[in-house]
Amino acid sequence: MAGRRVLVTGVGSYIGTGLARRLEDHPDFDYVAGLDTRPSRSPLERTELIEADIRDPVIATLIAQAEVDTVVHNQIVRQPEPGTSSATMHDINVIGSLQLLTACERSPSVRSIVIRGSAGIYGSEPAAPQFFGEEMTRLYPLRTRFQRDIGEIENYFLTFARRHPHVTCTMLRYQPAIGPSLETQITRYLSAPVVPTYLGYDPRLQFVHEDDALDALVAAIRRPVRGAVNVAGPGTIGLTRLVRMAGRPTLPVPAPLFASTAGALGRTGLPRLSPDFRNLLRYGRAVDTTRLTEEVGFTPRYSTPAAALDFVARHAPRGMVPRLKRAVA
Amino acid sequence: MAAGQGIEVATLFLRGLRGGLDAGLDLPQALARSASGLPRGARERVRGIRRRLDGDYQEDEWGFDGEFRDAVEPVFDFLYDAWWRVRVSGVENVPGHGRALLAANHGGILPWDATMMSVALMREHPLPRQPRFLVLDWAFELPFISSTIRKVGGVVASPHNALRLLGQDELVAVFPEGVKGMAKPFAQRYRLQRFGRGGFVEIALRAGAPIVPVAVVGSEEIYPKLGESRTLARAVGAPFFPLTPLFPWLGPLGAIPLPSRWRIEFCAPIETASYGPEGADDRGLVLELSEQVRQTIQRAVLENVVKRGGTFV
Repeated sequence: MAGRRVLVTGVGSYIGTGLARRLEDHPDFDYVAGLDTRPSRSPLERTELIEADIRDPVIATLIAQAEVDTVVHNQIVRQPEPGTSSATMHDINVIGSLQLLTACERSPSVRSIVIRGSAGIYGSEPAAPQFFGEEMTRLYPLRTRFQRDIGEIENYFLTFARRHPHVTCTMLRYQPAIGPSLETQITRYLSAPVVPTYLGYDPRLQFVHEDDALDALVAAIRRPVRGAVNVAGPGTIGLTRLVRMAGRPTLPVPAPLFASTAGALGRTGLPRLSPDFRNLLRYGRAVDTTRLTEEVGFTPRYSTPAAALDFVARHAPRGMVPRLKRAVA
Repeated sequence: MAAGQGIEVATLFLRGLRGGLDAGLDLPQALARSASGLPRGARERVRGIRRRLDGDYQEDEWGFDGEFRDAVEPVFDFLYDAWWRVRVSGVENVPGHGRALLAANHGGILPWDATMMSVALMREHPLPRQPRFLVLDWAFELPFISSTIRKVGGVVASPHNALRLLGQDELVAVFPEGVKGMAKPFAQRYRLQRFGRGGFVEIALRAGAPIVPVAVVGSEEIYPKLGESRTLARAVGAPFFPLTPLFPWLGPLGAIPLPSRWRIEFCAPIETASYGPEGADDRGLVLELSEQVRQTIQRAVLENVVKRGGTFV
């Protein structure tokens, strides 16, 4: 299918700019548009930047004018950023998604919508299956605000997909991304001078490498499938092993005191930990990626330990990377 | 090496370590530097510790950590040989490769029966295999216990986990009595409880894995449950709270299991592949196979109780 026209929301994020650049380089895509109030992270060649707030109803007209066949929704805020309050985060996530869907409804050219969602919807639970499949979203109640936001967003898209069967909606459920150039909650956490952990817990974590995060999006745009697809690097890594690889001293805190200790550390300038992230540090989470490889046809280049190592290699304080490479291989 | 020499070497080591730390090296590096003066065995050990501290070790996707398992092996060996004096029969009934489901009776609060089964298979089986065992989900909320169980091969008791493990051609151990087995009073020992809805048979049918019934004798005397406290169970969020002669009166020491004598018998496998995966939807077949497994285990348990003789001596 040549001559595709794609619009990317949140083009000012690392992933948004990276995706626009990959689409520019690809001969299949004739036209790329980027929607954001922020400028792109680095200059883009032929991407048309549309400066608008995703929460603004005006995007309906703008998107209809662009006559795109694919909309990539990449403006879901996953973690509290220094300048963004949790109310703004909720607004961007829920109201933004609603406005975007309204816009898609009014743009008859749209054939597929790809959403960069979050595996956070599964939560982090002690008794959970050790690999969540796509159908397992309803095993546990949505406990945090972010989970409820994501749940609401997924519901909107589900309803939309039911009402508009000619549009293919792909909900990509991303595990946290990690890599040498990305700054996220996990990379901030691993770069802190001291890393608080839950005393007596060693959760299994799972990541997707920043390059794979982009390539998975491109793969889903090229071959859209209906419904939810988990995105993660195969395998898992224990938190203890990860923190040791990163060469950080830990501060083990008993579970009942963890939230208050982490809060106090946050006030002294260490990274703040969101409730979702705290649960992750206690119970961990991993997903099954069969659907990604078999239906979307994308196999991540980095396993979870390899992705973690690639992040560590950039920041490692010691010359231990070659040995770790052996261990990961 | 004379005792005096040993002390001298240790002092040198500690001095080197302190020097390294003072010079601004971090712990793993300082360890490596000061270890050079030690005899070979100790040097190897320090190197091993340094590797662990660097995160330079392997865990599989389930969190099983082979090195950790090897490190705690002496404890397991002691329990196996000296504490419980385990006798094993029928290991040849466990397939040497490919998927299989071990179904055993369950006693005791901590998964010692699963641990001893895995020691038995690692030591007595002609092709030693590390089984993965399903552990009641509640254990995974507890600090230390959760991470230890995971590192030695335990996973959360969930059909999703069992199916995935069998799909990877692993050997999986289940305890179909579940919490009913753990919570039965001392007077009810070795009387197998109801096997629920036969979920483990469904899993075996769906995966086409043979079921090996396993009878474990001894595990039901290690924590003789005299009563239980609902109030305390609710207070700590546990499914039940046992009162034994030692627990909770002695605190953590109450977790020390009594030294009963053990016998483990692996019975002849029950083939399930011939029914095909659609057999899992046949309620009648599932309940029938489940009852067959239950009776096999019950018979083998009673036989082994008789063969064992005295409980503790």
